[in-house]
Amino acid sequence: MATITPAAPDLGGDKGLKKDAIGFLSSFVIGVASTAPGYSLAASLGFVVAVAGVGLQAPAVFIVSFIPMLLIASSYYYMNRADPDCGTTFSWVTRAMGPSAGWLGGWAIIVADIIVMANLAQIAGLYSFLLVGWQSAADSTVAVTAVGVVWIAIMTWICVIGIELSARMQMGLLAAEITTLSIFAVVAFVQVASGNAGPDAVDPSLSWINPFAISDFGALVNGVLIAVFIYWGWDSTVTVNEESENSSEGPGKAALWATVALVLIYVLVSYAAQAWDGPKTLVDNSEDVLSVLGKDVFGSPLDKILIIAVLTSAAASTQTTILPTARTSLSMARVGAAPEGLGHVHSRYMTPHNSTILMGVFSTLWYVGLTIVSENILFDSIAALGLMIAFYYGLTGFACVIYYRRQIFRNVKTLLLIGVGPFLGGVMLLGIFLKSCWDYADPANSESGDSWFGLGPPLVIGVGFLLFGVVLMLFWRRSHPAFFDRKLEVADPRILDRGPAGEAAPL
Amino acid sequence: MSVARHGPLIVGYDGGDCAKAALAEAIRLAEPLRAEIVLVSGAHVQRTGSEVADFAAVVRERAQGVLEEGLEAARAAGVHVRGEIVEQRVADGLTELGERESAQMIVVGSHGERPLRGALLGSTPHRLLQQSETPVLVVRA
Repeated sequence: MATITPAAPDLGGDKGLKKDAIGFLSSFVIGVASTAPGYSLAASLGFVVAVAGVGLQAPAVFIVSFIPMLLIASSYYYMNRADPDCGTTFSWVTRAMGPSAGWLGGWAIIVADIIVMANLAQIAGLYSFLLVGWQSAADSTVAVTAVGVVWIAIMTWICVIGIELSARMQMGLLAAEITTLSIFAVVAFVQVASGNAGPDAVDPSLSWINPFAISDFGALVNGVLIAVFIYWGWDSTVTVNEESENSSEGPGKAALWATVALVLIYVLVSYAAQAWDGPKTLVDNSEDVLSVLGKDVFGSPLDKILIIAVLTSAAASTQTTILPTARTSLSMARVGAAPEGLGHVHSRYMTPHNSTILMGVFSTLWYVGLTIVSENILFDSIAALGLMIAFYYGLTGFACVIYYRRQIFRNVKTLLLIGVGPFLGGVMLLGIFLKSCWDYADPANSESGDSWFGLGPPLVIGVGFLLFGVVLMLFWRRSHPAFFDRKLEVADPRILDRGPAGEAAPL
Repeated sequence: MSVARHGPLIVGYDGGDCAKAALAEAIRLAEPLRAEIVLVSGAHVQRTGSEVADFAAVVRERAQGVLEEGLEAARAAGVHVRGEIVEQRVADGLTELGERESAQMIVVGSHGERPLRGALLGSTPHRLLQQSETPVLVVRA
């Protein structure tokens, strides 16, 4: 007789994952690599410095931006514990706040991914030419866009055929990236101190990390809205806990150290970049701060290592961006919240190829379309990306509070980590979202300075996508009502009695 | 080593042409070797980037479907066969299973389930040849 013996998952606790598969170092690496510090800095430092009223206070903005992220990470950690491994905003918000809210959360993730792919492609295209030293091609929008599209195609294809960067390779790439960024910072500081830096060099000052030195609260918020984006991806560390060594303690520690490492990198590199030739250089070269500075600080050919750091960082972050998004749409398709075809896996590659390819196609259309309309709007979409991230991170914060509402008052720890923290995180992100909607309503606050319907492009892009999501959802609901009939759920008190991997670890 | 091993033949099966050729060869060998066939499909899920559960479920369903097809073909040929799904890298799963079952040999097709991936990261047969203590038979389609 033939028998089929698949390892049936026991949904109660241990899911048959390889325990100890991911050690402390790997958790740490995944957390930092998912955030892609090199690429994040290259894509956003100039824009943060450019925010009117921020200027030299960019390091302070990076530090402040981390606070809401930290609070939201707590909700990621606890929601992951309730619904381990299962997903992120889409499935959690659906359980806690209902299918419509969950659907919009999933939509925001997908849109954010499409937008970030376009930005990633732009950086990758540009840095590819800079790497080979082909300046005239790097100055040509057509050439950069063409290579950017090739990058999207390659990255999508890599995700389709399921090549995973092994943990060891990620570690190598990340080590190279961090080393390069550190060397850059040290060399820049030495040159500033010895007077060999750029003509507009400024002496670094401790006040740069003081958020209260930013005169205008609105400026801080606008800075944070862009800087939130540089920590995006950091939450991966908390969600891989199941497989981690010593699962009740390990991932928490790894996340903590990943945090410290990221904040240090961002502060150090932004200090160095600002000190070397003043804020104006950064603002003038917002699209590629690191390559411009790298050339001046290191000289040829050593400047290439900084370019390689940004390129590898972009490549590594692709995996941690496209993969989860394709899986979010797969999850949505599985429960009837998105077209069924998105839920298929490729018979050979065993990857969600439909979702992945669709992401690639939409990103390409978005990237090429916007480049044709106006390149400045492409940069405005970075601001819109912040709106998306603020929206779904905030939603996740509130979802945690609502889902665990009956457990919040168990003790001080639950009160802080499940109640107050996620709630404050949610409120902050909601505040950031609203304040920036208000500010971006003024076309003068955008990169392009264009006015769409009398509003700034970032607002139209960000809120437009959310409203479009609502329309799509209502449309989808009419033909597929089943998903939207789902009942709300509340946390089982026993979740908190056991550790993340099913072992006894009372709170 | 003249001690006859009567363990099963482990067959790596992904539903592709190569896998079908491997299964056909195993079916041919099953009778003279007096062996049962253990048909193995992989459901390895890449864990980078969370949102894994639904994806893993789909992959498992897919592997199950492939396996069922193969089982049917083997049963039609009149051999003793059972199925197994391994949720790790296929080569590792086959190696472990080979040892656990004291298999006579592991039979795989010459290219693994993912040609391009195989070219870049090393294919399943290649890995098997390096790590398996159980004899490995590689069948060309």
